[in-house]
Amino acid sequence: MLSGSKHSFKIPQHAQGPPLRGPKSSDMNGKRNRSCQAFLCIPGEHILEEAARVRKVVRSRDGEGSILGTLYCTNLRVAFVPEPAPGDTAGAPRCSTCLHCEHDVALPCIGRLVAVNSFAKAKVLTASSTLKFIPEELVLYCRDFRVLRFRFHDSGLEPQASQVTLAIVQAQERSSGSAGTWYDSAAIRNLENAWLSAEESSSAPTLLFESPCDWEKELRRLGAAGWRVSPVNERFDMATSLPKYLWVPSRLLDNELKRAFGHFNARRIPRLCWHHPGGSDLLRTAGFHADSDPEKEDVRSVEALMLAGHTQCVIVETAADLPSPAEIQLSYLKLRALCLPDSSVADEKWLSALEGTHWLDHIRACVRKASEVAALLAERSRSVILQESDDRDLNCLLASLVQTLSDPHARTQAGFQSLLQKEWVVAGHPFLQRLNLLRDNDREESPVFLLFLDCVWQLLQQFPASFEFTETYLVALHDSSYIPFFSTLLFNCQWERDRRKQHRASNQIYAPVNGWREPPPLEILQKGGCLAKETGGPYLPTIWDWALRYTTQQRAQFRNPAYTRGSGSVLNGSSAPVGGDKLEAALSGNGAVYLFAKGALSPQTHLFPWKSGSLSRKGWRRAQSSESLSEQDRSLRSKPSGCPLQPDGLLLPASAGPLIRLWRRCYLRGSQEVQRGLFASTLAELTEELDLLRGRLTGEGTRLGDSPWWQQRAPAGGTGQHAEPPLASPLKAKRPGDWMAARPRCHAGDGRAPWAEPDLSAGPADEGGDLGL
Amino acid sequence: VRNQQTLDKEVIYVCPFNGAVKGRLYVTNYRLYLRSVEIDPVVILDVPLGVIARIEKMGGASSRGENSYGLDITCKDMRNLRFALKQEGHSRRDIFEILTKHAFPQSHNLPFFAFVNEEKFAENGWMVYNPMSEYRRQRLPNEQWRVTFINEHYGLCDTYPSLLVVPYNATDDDLKKVAAFRSRNRIPVLSWIHPENQAVVMRSSQPLVGMSGKRNKDDERYLDIIRDANGQISKLTIYDARPSVNAVANKATGGGYEGDDAYPNAELFFLDIHNIHVMRESLKKLKDIVYPNVEESHWLSSLESTHWLEHIKLVLTGAIQVADKVSSGKSSVLVHCSDGWDRTAQLTSLAMLMLDSYYRTIVGFEVLVQKEWISFGHKFASRIGHGDKNHADADRSPIFLQFIDCVWQMSKQFPTAFEFNEQFLITILDHLYSCRFGTFLYSCESVREKEKVTERTLSLWSLINSEKAKHTNPFYTKELNRALYPVASMRHLELWVNYYIRWNPRIRQQQPNPVEQRYMELLALRDDYMRRLEELQITNNSKISNSSTSSASPSQMMSHVQTHF
Repeated sequence: MLSGSKHSFKIPQHAQGPPLRGPKSSDMNGKRNRSCQAFLCIPGEHILEEAARVRKVVRSRDGEGSILGTLYCTNLRVAFVPEPAPGDTAGAPRCSTCLHCEHDVALPCIGRLVAVNSFAKAKVLTASSTLKFIPEELVLYCRDFRVLRFRFHDSGLEPQASQVTLAIVQAQERSSGSAGTWYDSAAIRNLENAWLSAEESSSAPTLLFESPCDWEKELRRLGAAGWRVSPVNERFDMATSLPKYLWVPSRLLDNELKRAFGHFNARRIPRLCWHHPGGSDLLRTAGFHADSDPEKEDVRSVEALMLAGHTQCVIVETAADLPSPAEIQLSYLKLRALCLPDSSVADEKWLSALEGTHWLDHIRACVRKASEVAALLAERSRSVILQESDDRDLNCLLASLVQTLSDPHARTQAGFQSLLQKEWVVAGHPFLQRLNLLRDNDREESPVFLLFLDCVWQLLQQFPASFEFTETYLVALHDSSYIPFFSTLLFNCQWERDRRKQHRASNQIYAPVNGWREPPPLEILQKGGCLAKETGGPYLPTIWDWALRYTTQQRAQFRNPAYTRGSGSVLNGSSAPVGGDKLEAALSGNGAVYLFAKGALSPQTHLFPWKSGSLSRKGWRRAQSSESLSEQDRSLRSKPSGCPLQPDGLLLPASAGPLIRLWRRCYLRGSQEVQRGLFASTLAELTEELDLLRGRLTGEGTRLGDSPWWQQRAPAGGTGQHAEPPLASPLKAKRPGDWMAARPRCHAGDGRAPWAEPDLSAGPADEGGDLGL
Repeated sequence: VRNQQTLDKEVIYVCPFNGAVKGRLYVTNYRLYLRSVEIDPVVILDVPLGVIARIEKMGGASSRGENSYGLDITCKDMRNLRFALKQEGHSRRDIFEILTKHAFPQSHNLPFFAFVNEEKFAENGWMVYNPMSEYRRQRLPNEQWRVTFINEHYGLCDTYPSLLVVPYNATDDDLKKVAAFRSRNRIPVLSWIHPENQAVVMRSSQPLVGMSGKRNKDDERYLDIIRDANGQISKLTIYDARPSVNAVANKATGGGYEGDDAYPNAELFFLDIHNIHVMRESLKKLKDIVYPNVEESHWLSSLESTHWLEHIKLVLTGAIQVADKVSSGKSSVLVHCSDGWDRTAQLTSLAMLMLDSYYRTIVGFEVLVQKEWISFGHKFASRIGHGDKNHADADRSPIFLQFIDCVWQMSKQFPTAFEFNEQFLITILDHLYSCRFGTFLYSCESVREKEKVTERTLSLWSLINSEKAKHTNPFYTKELNRALYPVASMRHLELWVNYYIRWNPRIRQQQPNPVEQRYMELLALRDDYMRRLEELQITNNSKISNSSTSSASPSQMMSHVQTHF
């Protein structure tokens, strides 16, 4: 029944060139169809083992079903290629991008492998395990909350089942290791050649903050007049974990600036994050260095940095109200255990179990604190300094969340990506350690970044029209955290990233691999050009190069059609601004420095804790009455004008219990019942539909007069293989399959139209456990 | 609304969210209205007296504390009101008396406000439900099922409607014999028939088995006729909504359930849904954690401890089973609880909502409520306690609210499947208590007929159908004959924040929903495009007709669109 043994069964490497050339050449469609049936290797990738006639278990509107196809284990990932359905001539969407598909999982993303056999107990596999039985089913529990199930054919193919299973186990084990291993692998070396397609790599100009011009540009946008871009750390000789360029007060010369570094942990000095149009400045810094002995002039420099020309300075103790990275990790592990379909938690205990993970508490704490800081910034002109001991975890989260609330630009896709670059990537959030994608060291693992994404999702829920991007986009970002192919999340700081680039720059040759014959597209070289000049390295793909992984249609669904630019400020219930009369009274004293922690401002006698040359915690003596925010709450609430500097577009989210919700679409996607129809229910799904509708509408609208619009190809939908049926509007499409292809990353069994319901034949009664029967 | 203004007083409204607010209080025969003075923005309270469950005097002549003397009002819609009054004069006594009189007219021999309401509406909501046309819509009667008028004067069963659908092969005499064996004579009758497989949803009360395990040949035969009617050989499925313990306990009071011995051709399942008292206590607990303050640090476990969502889950799960059994075509289903007017109504109506897309339209839903709840004798009068001062009445229970909550859960999971929106459901609940309409007054059809409700009052559906746009879900996509099964798991049920916590300004979310607004704009935009396209088509008519690929014209499309909206 099989056309050959695994040795003779030839996998056609794609000799046709980069798969994304797509619609440009006229003969592409034919080739595309062929390549659909084959496995597309990333250049440098090779197949270790494969098994034909494997069934991938999916749950769809027709109940539990399966797709027949071939399962591959390569040196980079586990991939499944469905056999084309008879008569299916339309190119499947998976052909257009190689790196991202609902059927694939990168090796480091595999969390747990379980082999199932009806005679033996399910066995969790590790590299040292021996397979004592022939697996009938292989279950991959992914770290991104997906669960993939592969069922092996039960007649005569047992050796394959065992071989591919063991190969996956071993490959997965090998995939651990340092980032360099991944990054230097042939596959990654050629990644940019292969996929930086002729298409625009990113429609939005994301500022990477690798070059001074990005810093200049953003500073201009902010209109921060008293600030300049300092290249003092250009060679990373001031602080290795800091970015090359820093925003510092204009009147502070680099020489003076240099005096400050030694007095902060890891030399991470205070620097500007964001400038409020009303005058306030948001800064971030590491903690004061305990052993430093500042001279008078050093103190002056530090003072100038922190006050930044303001008469009032509020130091926000970031860690005071927020969970520690260790707590975040613990909570995340509990959350994942709870959300996986094999969770043992009884449905009746779900809510308290969810509460027990504290994940939502952590989100609430972050959202609340960010609102408070945003209010501090909006209240009056002052400098607000986020201070965290090492300035590399929760400061990233808080700084970016505050800006998401305060700056409408941060709620556009380009603005948001630039924000992440600025406050996370180049600011030195240790992504490699924290995401621990390569399993180097479990002790440092902590998904601070994923906690941030969840916070943003909460905002999106509360302000569905205030963001240019959708839930789909956030899920894509979440997924990106588990794909080790990009420079963005694979390093601990910009210095490491740059070192790797230089290393590559000296080694790299554009070696054709595996039938890759075309020279690298000119535009890639050009694209790298500007950067190459600036950084001395070639252009590296970042996760912002969405085109590498998502088709045009999928990317179209990142855009929120309900987005209304420049929507006014919105207050969702709570989180009244800090301050008010009482606070002003407290401030009328001589003190210009306040400490903000646990929702309370307390006047400080000193700007920093060094007194007569030595660190003294006593310097932090809090002045008598610290005003609790909740006390002020009431008076402020009745005064909606509590934010005199409130810019247009300040969001103040509610953080009360019922309004901080579980991100179901992200965390519950491994659960079977979700796949039965709940994806359908999210607001974002609806907006995705709307987006298609809008795309079509605008497309038709601008082309009126050419030909009847129903004969035109939808600009954002479908494969363009067939003329659009009259009003095949996505909302009204009769067959869900009509535009399934346009869905972002179809999850197993998620091939459902948003309105679809579970089928009748395999009724819910079959799922005894879930229904509590 | 004919408002007779009867009172106008200066009071202090002790708002749990904004603190004490000085205002003018007006009380009419329909509502309590407060408008703040000396505060900006203006605070307004507009409370139909029907929602008031209880009025208490707070503080006495010796009360000294600030705002400690006045009135405490408990409402049926998840809030309480507190008014502080001056101790001088008789202002408190006056307000108390006026409020009590109009909030509890039944306890004062006064008519419900619905009977003096002189509003006029463009639509007549009483025309929405006509049992005969509804059965005809279900293509009844047919060879297996007939319409009987045996209950025309409510002689067979005083809490059933006058029109009933029963098996063709059962005579009226048979029905009378069966009635003797069913609690309150509520015999198994047809609620819904599957248009294709002919399996049916039947409803009834419990059989009067009693301690001795009585049997009734007529009842047994009757159920067998029902089983037989859809031509399947399988057993009849009986869903007893109660927990089995309760069903057994009911034997002590003469009730019980269909035993295996007596009904070998039936298969009985218990659905574990608790009784009205459990539900009432659960809602009380829910109110405790959401009003006035929302439990913060342990929100989820507090919510869990109310068991409210768990009850919702059980009701939905039961309805899913009923719907699934019927749509599988394998067997017909009989649903009952004890009397067949609480849990039974929940189950049959929800199952019908899942099975029949007609009930997901605005008018269809009105028909469903009118049929399964109002005409089949859900005891609205005692469950809600309309106009009755006895707030502690053990007969009160939020059964209908629970049903609406289940509908909301479904609409949340299938946002395009319902023609109505959240506001529609909230409007229904508001007027469940308001007594402005006759729709939910009294407990059964026979009493309503006696009180001439349809002649002397207005229907809630008049209000809703006269302003349909306000209650329409813009995302609605009409789909016929598609069964809809929600996921009834705690992982996917949600507390209906916009209803239960709507009085808390800190919880309220952006209203109106900006996405919905945007969508409406887009729809308008599309209509505009369509219009322009059609104009274009007219001018380019010849050009298009030459095109061989032109297969449809915009005008065809227009009709296509209209069927969807």
